[in-house]
Amino acid sequence: MQQPSEEPERNAECSEGTSGEPTAVRQHESPPGGGVEPKEPLIQLYLADSIPLLWRSAHVKVARERLGVVGAAVGSLARQPRQNCRLSRPVQLLREEARFLLENGRAELVKALKPQNYEQEVQSYAHYLERNHEEQQKFALEEKKQVLKRVMEDKCKDGAAAPSSIQSVKDSLDSLESSFTFPCSAMMVQLCTARARFSYTPEERLWLSAELANPVDERQKVRYRVFSDLREKGYYLTSAGKFGGDYLVYPGDPLRFHAHFIAVCVPLDKETPLSDYLSLSRLGSNVKKTILLCSPSQTDAKFVHYTSIQWSGMV
Amino acid sequence: MGRPAWGNSVFFTHFSLKNYGAVRTRDHKIPTRGQKEFLYDGSEEQVERLQCSLGEHWKLLSEERVERQGSLVKAEWKPEDVTVALKTPAGKFWQTMGYADEGKQFLLPEEALFLMECGSVEVFYRDLPLSIQEGYELLLGDKTISLLEYLVFSHLKRLGYIVNRFDSSAVPSVYERRLNLVHKREKQSKQQRKRKRSVSARSNDISEGQPDSQDVQNRREKAGDDAFMEGTSSDSQKAVGMNYFSSSAVSSEEECHELPSNSEQKRPDWWEKKLEEAPSPGRPVYSKQSAGKCDLNKVLFPNLGRDCLHTNLEVPDACLLPSNVTATACDISSWREKLNMRQMRLTRREREELEKKKKYKRGVNEDKEVRACKNWQEYKQLLERRSQSSSKQRPAHLWNDVICPLVTPGQVSSTGDLLQQISVMQASHLVDDAVGLVEDACDKRITFDVYQADTAFDFKKSDPGKPYSRISVCRVALLHYESQTTLWESKPGPYQRSTATSFIERPFAPPHPSIIISSKIGIEIGDLPGQGCASLLVVLPLRPPGLVGYHP
Repeated sequence: MQQPSEEPERNAECSEGTSGEPTAVRQHESPPGGGVEPKEPLIQLYLADSIPLLWRSAHVKVARERLGVVGAAVGSLARQPRQNCRLSRPVQLLREEARFLLENGRAELVKALKPQNYEQEVQSYAHYLERNHEEQQKFALEEKKQVLKRVMEDKCKDGAAAPSSIQSVKDSLDSLESSFTFPCSAMMVQLCTARARFSYTPEERLWLSAELANPVDERQKVRYRVFSDLREKGYYLTSAGKFGGDYLVYPGDPLRFHAHFIAVCVPLDKETPLSDYLSLSRLGSNVKKTILLCSPSQTDAKFVHYTSIQWSGMV
Repeated sequence: MGRPAWGNSVFFTHFSLKNYGAVRTRDHKIPTRGQKEFLYDGSEEQVERLQCSLGEHWKLLSEERVERQGSLVKAEWKPEDVTVALKTPAGKFWQTMGYADEGKQFLLPEEALFLMECGSVEVFYRDLPLSIQEGYELLLGDKTISLLEYLVFSHLKRLGYIVNRFDSSAVPSVYERRLNLVHKREKQSKQQRKRKRSVSARSNDISEGQPDSQDVQNRREKAGDDAFMEGTSSDSQKAVGMNYFSSSAVSSEEECHELPSNSEQKRPDWWEKKLEEAPSPGRPVYSKQSAGKCDLNKVLFPNLGRDCLHTNLEVPDACLLPSNVTATACDISSWREKLNMRQMRLTRREREELEKKKKYKRGVNEDKEVRACKNWQEYKQLLERRSQSSSKQRPAHLWNDVICPLVTPGQVSSTGDLLQQISVMQASHLVDDAVGLVEDACDKRITFDVYQADTAFDFKKSDPGKPYSRISVCRVALLHYESQTTLWESKPGPYQRSTATSFIERPFAPPHPSIIISSKIGIEIGDLPGQGCASLLVVLPLRPPGLVGYHP
């Protein structure tokens, strides 16, 4: 039995581009990045307060499995919304992750959508509800019939049952069609996670997207260079705010592996007191991770210097 | 234009019969994650295990919320009021969330979004249900709360806490604390709990004031002098900075920075209005919240002179007074009569003295005594002597008696100064400064009040009481690694998350150096992601200052 999933198949998804929001969603049949399977969807990044979010699970999957961009889930889990161990969509990305995706042509920032033709939508919603109701009613009816039939069979098998009870069950079975009620309140309805129909503040978005692509801040530039370099080397990176660092560096997917390094981005020319490095390495030894000081080279645009610190003699 | 999404039903589940059954048999447990591996060796088993975990992960991530139509509460988003109105009666969540206004039920936007995520509420906007994504886009923003604050909010709610918006008016002000009005208020509220009321908090403030004032009037003490001290503002001057809250039923859960816009209705008026005068919209009711909020330095003394036409000082609201002080309205016309405005009839000697004084006032050099001075030093001494002698002209019965005034008339000009002089307002409290942050609307404002989960069953929305702690949400730009820090964005050294205590104990930052951040309450900071920065839960505990350092 299939669980209801959000995007059934890729083909259907491609068609949604024409049906849903024609102004914004673009599906690339052959994305610019080479060596990638055709028909892979372009990841849509939604910006909330300059924080990039991913809403579709297909996009999250592509980002993680194909591109090594992990992100962090921040929304409630559908199964059990009132716990904090496992969270679900939306998935929040680091700025660097979003920029990485954008620069590789694998993602796009979704701009504002214009509200569609409302009356039509309202009508089709009403139709959808009706159709849902009918289908579920049929299904429930079928189920009830099955149940009653089973009860009857059990009673027939069980020789001790009185013929009157068998008869009553038979009667209810016969009259089921007419007497069965399936009120609207019993109908199951889905609360969608991802669908954007109303989107506003276009100017803000454009500004934010520009800022995302080309950060002015020195620090952000340093961080991005380190991120892209480590990512290209094949490591998985997540935010290391908890550890006082910039990134946590995993050899494989964070689901299965522990982090090896805590990457701290330091510009080459910056003077840092030794006590800071001492506190960093102290931390690293406590959590059994190596501190990695990362400094992008100022001469070579592609090169990044790495220095690892480990406190030997720490028991 | 393509066909609308609903018809295609590709954005969401197409409810085939198979899926319907599947949903009902969906497992409600979350699969546990096994042990992680340390080294990556590319082996087959590792890959397989990874695929397995990933598969589970995607399954969980892609699941949708499916609920019975009947168990969903319908609501509607109203952007013009920045609130969510419930269309069907609220469920169990009503005990701790939401507010009522004129008999209708409303939810704050972040509460509505959280309930949407939990699958209890379906929010409509223009007749179509909102998806969670649309909820995030519409219900979070500048007018409501930001995304980061919502993440903190939902994190705490999922843990089970009761989280309200910060209510600065519920913080007892310095004035109230000094005069012990806080205990009085708590006592009153306990009495009130026995009564059933369906109207929200603010409108009851008036009624709560009344039982006291009746007590007051029964006792009939000499209140005239007290009234003088309390009655402060003059009719002719516009007092700035006094916020009167209207007596309409506005819930205390409403956003605190909305209130100034509601409440800045009239300037304060201490004089009783005659009936002929136009009735002001909402006679200035001095609800207890406003007592603390006035800036007492801007409350000036009343003009009791002849040029002021009014003669009846109003009764000060009993909530402003300590419990053993009573006050009644007072008519100052008798005082006025005592004011002697007639021309003085001088005796001959007095007249002569006056003439002499007039003389030397004209010219310093003509003064004999001044002429007698040979140098500057002597002249200064002369001036000193003269000033001393003039100050001795205080009436003996006022100044030499057992009871004498604490301040001279020229020393103070406003109630605030007066209270300062007589040392009523001295202690400062952490949250006082914090309350002022609210108006800043910057990163460093206090956003939420948190109440503990075990008080849920007797939690009263209209009177939640003192919160367990207050939350201010901020982004921390870490890792500048500068040891000397006064800027809040450079935090020195690592913080040991394993202990989850004494998180950061440094003075916060300009412009509010008085806030100390401490997480000694033990709320887990949790994995709040950020853009390479941690979004911190900053907890301001309400315990006595022993736990929190305050550096003025």
